[in-house]
Amino acid sequence: MQTYQTFLSHALQTNQRQYNAGLRLNWRLNCILFVMAFPLPRGVTASEIAFLAEMETVTVVPRQRLESLELLGGPVEPLAPPRRASLPLWLALLLKRQRRANIIPPPWLHPEPLSLILDVESQHQDYQNAFSPPPPLPGQPSVLDRDAIASAKPQYTPDGNRYYPAPPFLPHNTAQTTSSRDTPSLPFHWVEVGNLLLDSASDDLVDPDQIRRLLKDLREVRMSKMRSGVEVLDEAATGGGGVALTGVGSMELGEERGFITGVVDGLRRIGSSKEQARREQMAEQRAAGGYDATQDEEEDYMEF
Amino acid sequence: MSYYDIDSILTDSQKLPCTFELEVPGLGILEGNAGEDIKAGTRIDLPLWLGEMLSIGARLGTSRLVTLDMPDALSERVMNALKADPRTLDLRALAPHFYNLSERILELFEEEEMVDVLTDTFKKRAAEIADHAHNSRGAVGDGVDFLRGLDETERQLFRAAHDRAKEMRIWSGEARRK
Repeated sequence: MQTYQTFLSHALQTNQRQYNAGLRLNWRLNCILFVMAFPLPRGVTASEIAFLAEMETVTVVPRQRLESLELLGGPVEPLAPPRRASLPLWLALLLKRQRRANIIPPPWLHPEPLSLILDVESQHQDYQNAFSPPPPLPGQPSVLDRDAIASAKPQYTPDGNRYYPAPPFLPHNTAQTTSSRDTPSLPFHWVEVGNLLLDSASDDLVDPDQIRRLLKDLREVRMSKMRSGVEVLDEAATGGGGVALTGVGSMELGEERGFITGVVDGLRRIGSSKEQARREQMAEQRAAGGYDATQDEEEDYMEF
Repeated sequence: MSYYDIDSILTDSQKLPCTFELEVPGLGILEGNAGEDIKAGTRIDLPLWLGEMLSIGARLGTSRLVTLDMPDALSERVMNALKADPRTLDLRALAPHFYNLSERILELFEEEEMVDVLTDTFKKRAAEIADHAHNSRGAVGDGVDFLRGLDETERQLFRAAHDRAKEMRIWSGEARRK
């Protein structure tokens, strides 16, 4: 009986050890299989970006009365038919689909401003490799009058804390934001807002077919600019130049993120040995020349 | 490059020409005749991980077991072809993991000029890849020959750009979800 027990415990132990070894092997294999089976895309997907864009505020003309709603982002104003109201885009689209409200298109979503921006993007000398400027932030002078000193207007929370609004809480898509002398500019969420409004509220837009065409052209012009930026990404990888992405929308960023980061990473890996040599050389120089504060600062500046 | 990166594991197994400096008893199995010795001066293609390990004596200053040579994929001939026109070369035929391999090689050898050539190649080809990836016909078009010659790193780039463009078209309703 005792021999049997010894045998059993021995067998169990061996088994356990084999099992453990198998488990460890399996674990690594599983990890590899897992990574291969679920290659999660890098970054944010198109529908997620569109979901974020639905936070934008738009102006509606309600057709029915509606009491104020207590939403997570704060209460929305009560709707009284002839009066305009500002609502989040998702709520406005919901009411539009139920025919309870009409959406007033944002000032930039008209044929004239869009064709103006398209002209700037494709013809203008200064914008051969740059994107048309984004709408000015509060406290930032617009492109036209650079000399004017605009000061940010702080807003106050219900508790009395002062804050400066920032996107996405800046009303770039409400009807009354821009005065007539401002140059038209594309807001951060222009692709998403434009597409959603064209899909669900095309009868509220002025000449939706032309708007659709202009949006498509704009996207193509800007996309090709972003892709041609790959040529200068090299300097970005080694710490010299870079691509200015000022004024690029969130959807455009989301679309090119995987590619551009991939290129930068590839360039970094190819150039890593050269970079290593450069750093060693610099360290040697520093050691040979003794400590010199001004030179040190300059080199640090070059490096970053 | 993580521990579980299948591409880095495959890069490790790419062949590298090595020349034995010393006579090694009993290692003839690498040459195909088991049980024999390896003479000094024999040239054998060894996997990258093994060659790297054996040549490590060179860095420690002791006598080393093997000396490494440039693999064919990174020979002078290929570099000249890349300098002439980066777009026409079939990198996949040279080495499936061309850039990963060259990255590892550049860690072993000091080749300033090769870094410049490869950087330029990668940039030019990346721009071409982006154009093909945003073409709605995808990989079936005039670019088939070029796309067939992409190495693994470039294929991943193509995938990233192509999938995103497609997802975008599906979201905006231009293309149907399959």
